[in-house]
Amino acid sequence: SSHEHKLNFKKSKEACLNYIQDALLQKQWKRAAEFLTCYVESLEKDYSRERVGPSEMIWRIGTEILWHHSQSSMKEFSCFMEQMKTLGVKRYLKVCLEHVFHLLCNGQIDEAYQNLSLAESWRFGEQTAIQDKEMKLIQAYRGLLDYYSWSKQKNILLEHGEDGFSDLAVEQEMHGYFRKAAVNLKEIIKIPGVWDIFVKCYVDLLEFYGDHNEARQVLNEYAYNSKFPANPNAHVYLYQFLKRQGESKNSLISALKILHDIVPSHELMIDFNTMLQKSKKRKKRRLGLEVIFAALDYAGWKENAKAWSCLVRQVKQIVSSEKHLDWIKQEWNPRKEWWPAFHFSRYLAKRNWQENKSLSYEKALVAGILLGKDCKYFKYVSRQGCKAQLKRFRMLKKFVNRHDPVHLRISG
Amino acid sequence: MEFPAALFPSYFGTGPPLEEGGPAAVAGWGEHGQVLEGGPGRRQVQPTFVPRRGAAGERWEAADAAAVPVLLPSAGCWIPSPVPQDILYRGGLCTKLRAGKSGATLDFARQLGHFFVDHPEDAFGSLGRLLHKNFYLGNAKLKRPARNSTIRMTALLEDINRLEARRGCPRQHLTSRLRWFSHLCRDWLFEVPLGLLADCLHEELMQQWSNLLFDDSFTGGALAWLPPEDGGTPVGRLVHPGGQAMNHLCFQDVVLEELPRARGSPAQFELSGRIRQVAAACVDGQDFVGVRSDYHCGVWRVPGRTGAAPAPLQVISTDVPASCLTVSPHLPGELSVCTQSGTVYLWSVETGLQQLRHDPQTMFFRDHSPWRWSDFTAHPRVLSCADRTGLQCLDARAPKKCHFDLFKVGEEAGCQQGERVVLPMYLGRAHPSQYLVTTQFSVYVLDERLPLVPVLKWAHMMKAPPLFAHLMPGNPRRSHKVLLGTSRTQELLLLQYRGKRASSRVTAEPGLLCAHVPASLLLGSPAALAFMLTSFGAVSSGGSQSACQLAGTPQKLHSIAECLQHLPTQLPHRHHLLQQRLTAPAAGLTATLQEDGLHKSMVVFQLSEAGDVFCQRLTHKAAQPPAPPLRDEATTAPGSSPLFEAPASSPQGLGTTALRYRRWLRALSRACREPPRHTWPPSLSQRRLFTRRDLEGPAGSSSLQRQMRQRLLQTMQEGGRIQRWEPLALQPPPLPQTLEPDPLSTRLTAAWAGDWEQWWEDRTSFSVAQRQQALRERRRRQKRARGRRSLSASFTSSLTYQSELSELSDSGPLLLSPGRPPILSQEGSPPAGSPAVRSPPMSPAPGEALLSSQSLRCRGIPKERQKTLRDYLSVWAEGPPEPSEPPGSQASQLCIPSSQSQLSSASQPCRKRPRMGF
Repeated sequence: SSHEHKLNFKKSKEACLNYIQDALLQKQWKRAAEFLTCYVESLEKDYSRERVGPSEMIWRIGTEILWHHSQSSMKEFSCFMEQMKTLGVKRYLKVCLEHVFHLLCNGQIDEAYQNLSLAESWRFGEQTAIQDKEMKLIQAYRGLLDYYSWSKQKNILLEHGEDGFSDLAVEQEMHGYFRKAAVNLKEIIKIPGVWDIFVKCYVDLLEFYGDHNEARQVLNEYAYNSKFPANPNAHVYLYQFLKRQGESKNSLISALKILHDIVPSHELMIDFNTMLQKSKKRKKRRLGLEVIFAALDYAGWKENAKAWSCLVRQVKQIVSSEKHLDWIKQEWNPRKEWWPAFHFSRYLAKRNWQENKSLSYEKALVAGILLGKDCKYFKYVSRQGCKAQLKRFRMLKKFVNRHDPVHLRISG
Repeated sequence: MEFPAALFPSYFGTGPPLEEGGPAAVAGWGEHGQVLEGGPGRRQVQPTFVPRRGAAGERWEAADAAAVPVLLPSAGCWIPSPVPQDILYRGGLCTKLRAGKSGATLDFARQLGHFFVDHPEDAFGSLGRLLHKNFYLGNAKLKRPARNSTIRMTALLEDINRLEARRGCPRQHLTSRLRWFSHLCRDWLFEVPLGLLADCLHEELMQQWSNLLFDDSFTGGALAWLPPEDGGTPVGRLVHPGGQAMNHLCFQDVVLEELPRARGSPAQFELSGRIRQVAAACVDGQDFVGVRSDYHCGVWRVPGRTGAAPAPLQVISTDVPASCLTVSPHLPGELSVCTQSGTVYLWSVETGLQQLRHDPQTMFFRDHSPWRWSDFTAHPRVLSCADRTGLQCLDARAPKKCHFDLFKVGEEAGCQQGERVVLPMYLGRAHPSQYLVTTQFSVYVLDERLPLVPVLKWAHMMKAPPLFAHLMPGNPRRSHKVLLGTSRTQELLLLQYRGKRASSRVTAEPGLLCAHVPASLLLGSPAALAFMLTSFGAVSSGGSQSACQLAGTPQKLHSIAECLQHLPTQLPHRHHLLQQRLTAPAAGLTATLQEDGLHKSMVVFQLSEAGDVFCQRLTHKAAQPPAPPLRDEATTAPGSSPLFEAPASSPQGLGTTALRYRRWLRALSRACREPPRHTWPPSLSQRRLFTRRDLEGPAGSSSLQRQMRQRLLQTMQEGGRIQRWEPLALQPPPLPQTLEPDPLSTRLTAAWAGDWEQWWEDRTSFSVAQRQQALRERRRRQKRARGRRSLSASFTSSLTYQSELSELSDSGPLLLSPGRPPILSQEGSPPAGSPAVRSPPMSPAPGEALLSSQSLRCRGIPKERQKTLRDYLSVWAEGPPEPSEPPGSQASQLCIPSSQSQLSSASQPCRKRPRMGF
């Protein structure tokens, strides 16, 4: 009967799919391709009401096979993609986008651009929300490619400019690219999302044409709009923009302060700390100490010699001047439970000494001040240093011995 | 650690998932996802792009055709966990009931029935004892006075049997008698109130069923690998559960050779619960191993030196089952514990437990699962805690105030409807701020610094939710590898991802790469091309951090069950056992990378619920030539088993693999030998047989004894045997000692003199004669006092006794006489192939003792049958010994007069057998 036939057909379809899946997962591309040619039959009698129909499966599997198959070529791939685009209306934009990605990754920028333009002009009935998003992405990527063309023209112009020769046609073309790129890029970065690459390009365009206000607004929006995810890069871009603009220290510091609040372990915290240490204001130097302590809490910073030297510089300054020892105390108090095991164990002393002498020097100084001269880390490193007759380590020992009482005052 | 300068573009939305749920079989294929500019700072040339997925990865190939056992199966058979057939309803009603939405019907009645049958004492104990007198199990009709207080159960039992036979018949009606009885008894017959019992059973059944659908108690896996500290010696330690109840924690040294090999015996600890999870982390050169069972968690410290003994540090117990235990990679002796009630603790060996959160509700939306998880993050004081709806990070210093959302099942991460968190894992060894989250559909990589937005997402297409994951960190030159494993389907998937672009150290590689570029270009392989481009892009970037991208295609590894097809053909029942064993759900997963000069290999261990640890080796293939016909495609013809055939590439590898399998199979069949203990013929202990005084026997040693002793001594020196092993040469059963003044000494003397056989002959004939005499005597007495005799009840018991008697009288001597005279023989082994079958021991002779009502009661013979039996035996004694008849014919011949002598000819044949003297 027809019902039974349907059932059997479904079963054999599933079995075939399982074989394909198995082959793909074992990188047996040829085997998978053979099975796929059988599976194509399922397109004719598609009884399924599943979310993912056979046409999508064929697209996905076929693409994967063509990526890896030893005898496939770009031409075949493009041919396959064109067929797949016509298979499902709902998926047209998605397939286009993926096709473009593949062309881009293979360096075929011009073909990719053509495909994007083609996809942009595609219309079919009412667009769903997903299709709308895909269309925006297609436009944005076209904008991005326009930006690259613009940038290429710009470089040509700049080179020629040096020769004192300007080409009006090239300049015209460049402005044309600018307009096309700007329109599309501007659109996508209004929508909440992660648009690092688009924002960067758009700001670059605006800066070149001197529209700094617009650039600042875009960056502010990208960093501070609460509908956007808390992307550290948004703050970084803003900070870099402000720096390029030669903004005041205060505005730089406030930009970084926000980054510090979101991501205390960001690598810019070293710059932030240096900036704060140089400040005349007590409050800012205090913040600097907090920033560097907070950064060193993170496992990723454990062996960052730069960060440790920042801390050493500030701690040395405070200890020598004997002023603001309470700052150290406040920072040290919540950490004294776990920093010794986390940073200053004997095992780490040994390893740091073997791997990075200057790191062990910085850490030993901090350990000596915070924990006293009897702490394991300091003792091991200073002994090794003296054994190796390094002058630096002798100085270290002297310094710590002189300021040994400090640790009692800090932890008291 | 630097944050990537630019991330892959993505939309960001908030709220519940938009996409419709459901597993998609191929959702992970054929997508690049997004692209990003690869090489910044090069304006002159065309920009290069890298895809989020689809970049080339490392090439790993399985060294063997199947996974190989590492450890021999432990002694004692594994008890398989229940399967759906055990608790689901089977039968005619099934289809009708299944029309409902639930899909599965639990066979509640059968389970309740099992309980009553298996634990009658617990179910009906006291009332059963009280009412013992009021239930009558015989066939006969009850007499008037007894009928008032006694129920005849036989008819009721028949009704039940009939009901059982008609099971599935749509027109079945309960017999009125049964209904009447159940109405009468329902309220008071049961020891435990029926409603309460049913509630408990139902709850347990639902629990079992949900466990069958998805058992999350093994989340995280119960297998850990402790790598050697210096990496020089190839000896690591495998931590795994063992024993029949999986309650032994074993630390087994394993040598990584061509095939990993166990060295020495493991350090074992017996725990008081089944081990659910083993977690390990290395801090300051020491390994800390956390072990979770349902109500206990423990922590062990394993010093880095090889050979140092693991030391247990602390144990905690919980009121509700613990669902998670993770070990801190930052601070020694710190762990995090979650219980099912939603409590999260930070557990420090030094300072004890600190409760961070207690919230029975789930975090982002309501979900019924009590499962909770927690792990560590880049900050040693910040812990993540998870339930099925997402992940949050808590600051242990101020857990109430400081927390942020790391992952939410929702539009933020582009989840599907119905998607749930299955396993979160801190990826600290690869990148200090990265996190892995698996759901039943996808796998996500998250960065703490950019919460809620996954930096990587991929649909893993596994058939079951991945409960196990293992990370093998790469370095700037090599990708990070993540292994995902499922439990019920035993799937293993190897993924590679890169979080960091190749650093400047890579510059050595382009030369190596270029050698292959022309070839691949000629063939136009897109993969090779992509590989070339990305690698060039990588070189130009010079060590800056790049966005996370998936490298290479996912790869399926061998599962334990797959080796079944490679094993030699087994007998069907063996095959079934083996299949059951090998398809047991996986319970853990671990792996290690091994680098030995140019050869890089990966050893993957997989643990099954049966306690088996299997491993497989993958070897790294350096920069790929455009692979000619793939090796594995050729070898996967069904039925072929390259394991047991010599592959040309590794002649010595074959031997070890095949040998390993043979040893494992042999050990398995030894451990799971089928016959249960109680069916073996009982053996007699000599201590019971002879009392001390018996053995002392006649004082002083005769010359015979001296001679004997001498021979014994001589035989022992020569390593021979005193008596040849023969199946028939058995110790005779003890005989009633009252018959002879000192039977032992006569017997021993006879045996030593060599005419033991004769002695036995005499003895048995004597005793038979004597017993026959006694029975005859008795019969005469009974005849005199003859009344109506009842020989009702069942035939079976009398039949047994008859056959035993006839055996004793006819074949008894034949059976008991040794096949050959007992001589001291020094010949070698017993004849080859002689089965170690012992004849069944004889039951004691049915003398007076047998007939006494006392002994009959002891044998469990009901009172009403005792008389029957006695009559029957007395009758038997008169007749001449005759060969026992086959039971079937006897049953039809024997006619049993009912006690009332009202012969209902319809049901019972008329009495015959005049030779019995009736």
